[in-house]
Amino acid sequence: MTATEVTAAGKRAAREEFAPEARPGRVRSQVLGALSLAAGLVAWQLAYDLFIQRSLFISSPTKIVATFWRLLKEGELYPHIWASGAEFAYGYVLSVVVGIPLGFFMATNRKINHYLDPWVAALYATPRIALAPLVVIWFGIGLFSKSLIVFLGAVFYIILNTYTGIRGVRENLIEVVKAFGGSRIQVFFKVMVPDAIPAIITGMRLAVGRGIIGVVVAEWFGATAGLGYMVYYYSQVFQPSEVLVGIGLLTAIGYVSFYLLERLQQWISPWYQIQIERELGGTHE
Amino acid sequence: MTPRLQVRGLRKWFYSQRSERRLQVFDEITLEVLPSEFLTIVGPSGCGKTTLLRVLDGLIPYEEGEILLDGHSVVKPGADKGFVFQDSSLLPWRTVMDNVILGLELQRIPRRDARQRALQHIELVGLKGFEDHYPYELSGGMQQRVNLARALVVDPAILLMDEPFASLDAQTREIMQAELLKLWAQDRKTVLFVTHQIEEAIFLADRVAVLTARPSRVREVVEIKLPRPRRLEMKRTPEFLDHADHIWRMIQEEVYRTMARTGHDRD
Repeated sequence: MTATEVTAAGKRAAREEFAPEARPGRVRSQVLGALSLAAGLVAWQLAYDLFIQRSLFISSPTKIVATFWRLLKEGELYPHIWASGAEFAYGYVLSVVVGIPLGFFMATNRKINHYLDPWVAALYATPRIALAPLVVIWFGIGLFSKSLIVFLGAVFYIILNTYTGIRGVRENLIEVVKAFGGSRIQVFFKVMVPDAIPAIITGMRLAVGRGIIGVVVAEWFGATAGLGYMVYYYSQVFQPSEVLVGIGLLTAIGYVSFYLLERLQQWISPWYQIQIERELGGTHE
Repeated sequence: MTPRLQVRGLRKWFYSQRSERRLQVFDEITLEVLPSEFLTIVGPSGCGKTTLLRVLDGLIPYEEGEILLDGHSVVKPGADKGFVFQDSSLLPWRTVMDNVILGLELQRIPRRDARQRALQHIELVGLKGFEDHYPYELSGGMQQRVNLARALVVDPAILLMDEPFASLDAQTREIMQAELLKLWAQDRKTVLFVTHQIEEAIFLADRVAVLTARPSRVREVVEIKLPRPRRLEMKRTPEFLDHADHIWRMIQEEVYRTMARTGHDRD
């Protein structure tokens, strides 16, 4: 028995076992989703044109788009976007920088977990948005207190998902690295980090929505610019189109961040999505 | 001939964290594996076969006895032992190449040399052309080939295999058995192979060690005198069936003994 014979036989057997990945239905579901969304917008527009026509309380898709272009041309939007963007960015980045290490140490160090867990559990259960007025009293209406409110909204999702991610690192994979003589540091970088990253990014994605709520609420308690401020102001003067432009932009910022993080997740951990689909579908082997 | 692996009077207990109770897993396991020998271990389920392999690899501690690999005491895992895991345990974020290279990478062998060695072993297990595939793109049989290549690439003194074909379907399993023997015939690495399938144990082995029920000892080491190279047809020869019958009876007895002791069917 020669080596080439072995290789050829093995290769043939391997090819026979091999079944390429097939994932139909994905494009179809995207098309259906877009259709559903379009139908909803058309229904809204028709209802407005047929039954309402003019209102201090309700707007229509075409009026919102027109208002958006007008505000954009007049340059009114930029300061709002800029202000809210800065508040969100500072608060969000801070929650990532603080949340990941905290979640990690809580997951890996029993003592730290004992001390921190009651705080995290209690603060997580608190409607933290209700703390916003207090934060404003303490720190004023500047960028700092607004970022802090964003931080308070977002950080717990990151802590908890990092914790869950690290706790969920598969023992058998750790054992593989140990069995081949890997050190603790090697176990950390070669197993724990890559295995926990999908869960951590999921936490970052959940935190986006909470951070944006933080931006809006923070601006309601005193601001001179920002999309939350804009929404609040125009609702007071009964201009629903402007209100909805503000809400639409907040949604867009949230959606884009959420989407970018999803792409990041797929880029860093392409294996993760497929593994989830397998587990849900139960089609493995 | 001095043995490659010597296990003398190995005893081990599992300690329950909640209670003071302890459970004896091994009661004086004594075993020798000769250089270039293919030794398989069978035993009733729950007798600690997997635990034994993990102890021999140095992954988990033991209380009494001695484990010598080429005369040196085994105290921790390392590249002198190659472990083939039951559930393949490939790192899902690594390609076939990067999975195979793992052991060399952990030893900080330069990437270029490591890649070359890994490539040879990927070819050896018949996966040439699949270097850049991820584990989820492979069938169960192919994943086990990667698992095997990952263990072989570090050029260990002994290969410790933990039921690597247990999760495969019957046909793939037989293909893999035959291929494992072909591979083994090339350089006759010392192999310690744990399985619960008697037929698999006999087909692969020079000798089959039969363990007792827990706390386990080696009940008997059966010499398999079938000629090599082994062919799948040999599984139906009278000699093969005699061996199977003999081993099956021993395991049967052990299972009944456990049932009599615990008063109920545990499995």
